[in-house]
Amino acid sequence: MEETKWEPKVVGFLCHWCSYAGADLTGSARMEYPHNIRIIRVPCSGRIDPMFILRALQNGLDGVLVSGCHPGDCHYQSGNFHARRKFAVTRKLLEYVGIEPERVQFSWVAASEGPKMAQVVKEFVEGVRKVGPNRLFKDEIKDGE
Amino acid sequence: MGYKKIKKDQLNTFLSELSKDYTVVLPSRSGGQVVFAPWDGKNTDFLDWYKNTIIPPKALFFPPVEEMFRFRKGEEGYEIEELMPDKRQQIIFGIRPCDARALKIIDMLFADTYKDPYYLRRRENSLLVGLSCNEPCDTCFCASLDISPGQSEDVDILCTDVSDNLLIEAISEKGSNLLSEMSGLSDAGSEEESKAKEMRKSAKEKIARQINLSGLQEKMRSNFENREYWEKASKKCMACGICTYVCPTCHCFDINDENRKKEGKRVRSWDSCKFPLFTRMPMENPRHEKWRRMRQRYHHKFEYYPMNFGTIACTGCGRCIRECPVNVDVTEIIGGI
Amino acid sequence: MENKLKEEARKLLKEGKVDYIVGYGKGTVKFRTSPLITNKEEDIEGLVINPFIANNLSRYPAEIKGKLGIVVKGCDSRSLVSLIQDNKVKRDDIVILGVPCEGVVDIKKLVEQIGADIDQVKEIDKEGDNLIVKMDGSKKTVLFGDVIFDKCFGCEYPTPLEYDILLGSEVSPRVELEKSLKKIKEFEDINAPERWRYWKEQFSKCIRCYACRNVCPACFCERCFVDVNIPQWITTYGSWQDNLVFQLIRTLHVAGRCSDCGECERSCPVGITLRSLQRKMVEEVKGLFNYETGVDKDAPPVFTHYEATDPEEFIK
Repeated sequence: MEETKWEPKVVGFLCHWCSYAGADLTGSARMEYPHNIRIIRVPCSGRIDPMFILRALQNGLDGVLVSGCHPGDCHYQSGNFHARRKFAVTRKLLEYVGIEPERVQFSWVAASEGPKMAQVVKEFVEGVRKVGPNRLFKDEIKDGE
Repeated sequence: MGYKKIKKDQLNTFLSELSKDYTVVLPSRSGGQVVFAPWDGKNTDFLDWYKNTIIPPKALFFPPVEEMFRFRKGEEGYEIEELMPDKRQQIIFGIRPCDARALKIIDMLFADTYKDPYYLRRRENSLLVGLSCNEPCDTCFCASLDISPGQSEDVDILCTDVSDNLLIEAISEKGSNLLSEMSGLSDAGSEEESKAKEMRKSAKEKIARQINLSGLQEKMRSNFENREYWEKASKKCMACGICTYVCPTCHCFDINDENRKKEGKRVRSWDSCKFPLFTRMPMENPRHEKWRRMRQRYHHKFEYYPMNFGTIACTGCGRCIRECPVNVDVTEIIGGI
Repeated sequence: MENKLKEEARKLLKEGKVDYIVGYGKGTVKFRTSPLITNKEEDIEGLVINPFIANNLSRYPAEIKGKLGIVVKGCDSRSLVSLIQDNKVKRDDIVILGVPCEGVVDIKKLVEQIGADIDQVKEIDKEGDNLIVKMDGSKKTVLFGDVIFDKCFGCEYPTPLEYDILLGSEVSPRVELEKSLKKIKEFEDINAPERWRYWKEQFSKCIRCYACRNVCPACFCERCFVDVNIPQWITTYGSWQDNLVFQLIRTLHVAGRCSDCGECERSCPVGITLRSLQRKMVEEVKGLFNYETGVDKDAPPVFTHYEATDPEEFIK
């Protein structure tokens, strides 16, 4: 197996006002974080439909990071509060049906928190690396996976 | 050729012999439901409990989802990879007379001007071994549709359960050729034959449910614009697709191209006239309201199909009555027209 | 109870307080009832109340125009209240005829208990805590509590919470939550890959008839996300992957609106254990937000609302 060469491929849905700006700051401050993440900018964490998460996993991505403004900082006032409720049940359901919790991560990262963004991505990618490639939606599930 | 028989506890050897040249598919319990599945090589206890499957045997010839072909965009146009069903010969063991008739009915459509290669190849490669019903279900009304639960002209071989024995009778030439090659069958005596006759008669008498078909097509035509009738009839309908998907003669399908980057596949899948999305692909579903969709289904079965092919597309298997979550009953609706 | 219902229903129609009565009538399949929706007084005689009234009729008010007199059990009443909370049904447009419910018989369980085909059963009578099942030449007694749906064991509100007319005296709830959640607890005890494999197998059976969605009162979207084709989220045909994603998303859409009426699982023609998903969400929503579906018609629906103190220990 070429298991050793495998690199996690993950997607990050970041809100435009905080987390995306936070990731920008990480870049402009020349901080390093794993390049395994592909970032998709969304207006608000409230925009994230659980469908995005499931479809990303179904299409073979190894993990999904969702990040928005800290509670109280939402540009639209309450988007992240609503998102928080939605994510709480989404997470429970995904875990219940047998999706490894490491594959889906939620975080609050502010525009000023460049280092935190780097840290979150790093830890997330490490977590995904530990659980291995996403074979959940493959037709054959091998034993022990 | 006369009747053959085999002891029920010897069925195993008979099936094993058939398994040499054929894949034998028979009723089995899987995941809490009764389905036709390849025989496991030992179990024949279905004779004790089997009444009928929920998903009709049409699914063996016209599967719910079927990849038709794959395509890839190469340097010089598209490359097509055909995905025809394999030529494996199979025996469907234990098909009920109603479902065997249903296959005859949809044969007319799939082998009409356009010959459907997928369906027809599977049909050609299959041999039907029917099992007559001794104890019809409460929901059966096949007798009203000229189908005898105990008899069938639509199978290749017919088996009848007469207490300890299974009476085996060749119906088609294909079936008679097969039976003549089989060892382990003995000739049935006149006693068993008369017993089978009795069984068949009593099975037919047990069917209490009826559907009134007299002058139906005429009545349906004049009732077509009767909006009030159809609105009332469809009021409780939930507009799900159960009745169409468990129907042994419903045959509507949808075709989709599923492509990603430079390759993809064409997929055919069951579709249901009960869905608002039905026929939406070319333009729009003209049947926005639930009652129009329900009317379409019954008219298709009891008026258009007879017009096109000379037979009603219903066999009285009763699945739609039994499985409907709100108990919409075709016999009530047709009878009420 | 049945006579009172007929009397009240007749009165409602006669006085013009409602346009339709939505209740249960005798079905055409043994021991099954069927929704009876009528605006004619002569049909009222067909109304029944018995231990087989499985359907959740609260699906109809959003669909049928006019004022409705609707018969509901405890769980159904909560679906209805949830629809009122979501502004899908106006409280003033319905007259709720509440049925205090001791539980509904699960025919599958009954068949298992008596060890005979349902076609052989001639008659079933309820006598106290027992069901007397009469078959050809024999008789069997089964405990009513052994043959009711799993959902009924854990039902905390067997008497409708919201009603205009209550058709009997209140029923005290069964306190057998453990029995009701048995399947879910057992399921949680197995490891994650096995759990995933379980659902993979379950959804390989799915034929996408959409009965689960169409019978669900909480599924009130005018156009379901699976019917949206630009962009197409889910293919119109069923691979187990798409079937599973469809059901997971549906589960999330109805989370906080599901009253555990169990209609999805009962209706499923291929026997997918859908209630294990829905009921799990009922538990989670209660645990996370201390919210129960349809117990307070003035409360905001759980996902249109938030508290600053909502749990967030899972967010980094």
